[in-house]
Amino acid sequence: MPFVLRRLLAVVPTVLVVATATFLALQVVPGDVATIMLGVDARPDELSRLRRELGLDRPLVVRYVEWLGRLARVDLGTSVAYREPVTRLLAQRLPVTVSVAMAAMAVALGVALPVGIAAARRAWSALDLAALAGSQVGLAIPTFWLGILLLLGFAAAWPVFPLQGYAALARDPAQWLRHLALPALALGLERAAALTRLVRAAVLDELRRDYVRTARSKGLGEVTVLRRHVLRNALIPVLTVAGLQLGFLLGGTIVIEQVFGLPGLGRLLLQGIYARDLLIVQGAVLTIATMFTLLNLAVDLLYAAADPRITYD
Amino acid sequence: MRRAHGPLAAVALAVVVVAALTGGAPAGAQAPRDRFVFALSGGPDTLDPQATAATLAFQVNKSLYDTLVEPDDEGKLVPALAESWTVSPDGLVWTFRLRAGVKFHHGKTLDAGDVKATFERILDPATRSPKRGDFGSIRTIEVVDPLTVRITLAERFAPFLAALAHGWGAILPADLIARRHDFGTRPVGTGPFTVAEWQRDAFIRLQRFDGYWIKGQPRLREVLIRFVPESAVKVAGLLAGEFDAIDAIQFLDLPRVRANPNVRVLRQVTSLINVLAPNHSRPALRDVRVRRALWHAVDRQQVLKTAYGGESLVSNVFMDVTSPYYVDIPDPYPYNPDQARRLLAEAGYGSGLTLDLALPQPYQAHIEAGQLVQAMLGRVGVVARTRVVEWGFWLSRIYAGGEYDLTIIGHTGKLDPDGRLAGFGDPSRVPPNYVRYDNPRVADLILAGRLTTNPDHRKRIYAEALKKMTEDVMLIPLGTPVLYMGTQRSVRDFRQLYAIDTFDFRKTTK
Repeated sequence: MPFVLRRLLAVVPTVLVVATATFLALQVVPGDVATIMLGVDARPDELSRLRRELGLDRPLVVRYVEWLGRLARVDLGTSVAYREPVTRLLAQRLPVTVSVAMAAMAVALGVALPVGIAAARRAWSALDLAALAGSQVGLAIPTFWLGILLLLGFAAAWPVFPLQGYAALARDPAQWLRHLALPALALGLERAAALTRLVRAAVLDELRRDYVRTARSKGLGEVTVLRRHVLRNALIPVLTVAGLQLGFLLGGTIVIEQVFGLPGLGRLLLQGIYARDLLIVQGAVLTIATMFTLLNLAVDLLYAAADPRITYD
Repeated sequence: MRRAHGPLAAVALAVVVVAALTGGAPAGAQAPRDRFVFALSGGPDTLDPQATAATLAFQVNKSLYDTLVEPDDEGKLVPALAESWTVSPDGLVWTFRLRAGVKFHHGKTLDAGDVKATFERILDPATRSPKRGDFGSIRTIEVVDPLTVRITLAERFAPFLAALAHGWGAILPADLIARRHDFGTRPVGTGPFTVAEWQRDAFIRLQRFDGYWIKGQPRLREVLIRFVPESAVKVAGLLAGEFDAIDAIQFLDLPRVRANPNVRVLRQVTSLINVLAPNHSRPALRDVRVRRALWHAVDRQQVLKTAYGGESLVSNVFMDVTSPYYVDIPDPYPYNPDQARRLLAEAGYGSGLTLDLALPQPYQAHIEAGQLVQAMLGRVGVVARTRVVEWGFWLSRIYAGGEYDLTIIGHTGKLDPDGRLAGFGDPSRVPPNYVRYDNPRVADLILAGRLTTNPDHRKRIYAEALKKMTEDVMLIPLGTPVLYMGTQRSVRDFRQLYAIDTFDFRKTTK
């Protein structure tokens, strides 16, 4: 079986395990959607009536098997609180979260690659020390705090960017970028800090190798040496980590979406948890888990592209 | 890469580049004059008024649907879709005369059949309405003529009119109900606005309904409600002129907002009553002397000032001070730590008492109040172990399960006092209520209040019940907080409705 297909099939058990764990976890947590809907006005008889009407009184196993059956038909059910199909809710939000994560990654790489390479080339220079110090600071600043600072600075005090909200890429690319800029910075800078150190270390490591000396002694220009030889090798570990970090960014958007009022998966997931809306939580977790697994696959494939020595049969 | 570029320099560069690339107008620029931008802390779950019980949903739904009757600024129920109504002497038959010529958004004219279909829909188990119980006393609904509908109740139920005025009493068109229309995403009502665009968790854009039954209303052409969870962002947006109004300002932000000449702070006494609730089923708290000692031990004025804002109004009964049923009695157990210690010693807890104090996580103010209460109780030898719990946990384990000694919570307003008190006097309820209070005399009074339609009689009945609850220290009322909303100075007639906390944009102008 081709490697890609095998890996794609491996996604299925991962997703099933995640789905089951989510399902069970939400059963253990006290409170259900009926309790939360009725709130402080709840009368015991009203609660049990609503539970019955919502089908919450049926045994766990029945509901789980039902959910699995629907999942096989790519139907994630209808949300009890929102009264809408979960797939529709997810489809509305997925592009937002993917946009934020990708934009944050772009910020992270856009900062980390040039700064990391420059720092490695002048190791222990003032520039290098500044980059190291800067990345230390970047790692220490909590994302949500940076988000609020950026927001108060660049959206409220000096209104260059919109305060809240999101515009779809297909509708207005310029607005899309404007809405994404601050969240992407808030989320991307922390990753940039981590990646800068990695790029620096990897490039530094390669620069010390014999082949670099050979290439230089052949009279190749510094830029050629760097681009043709050093980066090719140095970028492999960077790619791996960057791929994994994209996964972290997907998680990080949960916080950032809350700060910037972005209608993404993270907010949906949070709302689902607050409302104890099992189907929404499962749907959102499942989507994130699937994306994470596919991302790992993509990283593996990128290896091969970056380094011809790596092949998958 | 000749000169030093730290990440921070890169940020500044990126900001400038993106701003230049996208080159849009500054985001803080004033919205067009005919668009009113309102920042609300969250969005509706669904726009189907009968499928939800969420305040956030009704805050939007109020603009899309109308009810038969509605509360005015003082909480008095006044005609809306019903022009007038009569009640039979036995309180069972309610006859409503509907307003003529009211149009639904899709063009149909309102008639008695719509009212009948709407209430039958909420009573239908398939609707799975969380608020079906409020209409449970309805026995039959008859269409007398196109503009007259007669509702017969199975038992006398004075709060019935109030139930109709709440958001879930919204009237929907019969033809669409019959077709199982999805009101949740495509609402059709008789309300002043229609939905132009709804992006979940982001915003909802409402457009004036030109066929609205009140001539000259609504005055705004468009209302853009943005869902902004971060309080700091809301305030920043108001001050920057991006929002025309925001739903709540935390009292710590008030000085900053008041200092800005372009905005106005609106102050409204809420219909909430915050309480410190003891669990009467706990051995120590079963003793009224201990509960009285707790009341003496807590400086309620101080708690209100520090946790809920200095303008909060202290209450000595379990009723908010704005309610027509509020009774003003002197504090029977004024702040007095010595008296508290004496009562505790008398009850046998002179050497100390340890209690568990559960605080609901989403309400920062209650948590702060809890910390103050903890310190105050400590001074009289009561160790309160605070425990912050998540909302779902609070509802199921604390409120429903009674797994606590003390807790702090706010009871929201109701258009009818029965809504607030029913749970504390319903003998059929097992367990009786979250504080496990059981006083047959009070239960009788609450039942009598529900069955009495004469307002003066009702006031007397409820006054007696409230006094008895205070005497028993059913719970320790803290008080009623004040809500602060913010608008641009030019905004007129922006308001939140009494007790049901929804916003009414019909008269608003900017």
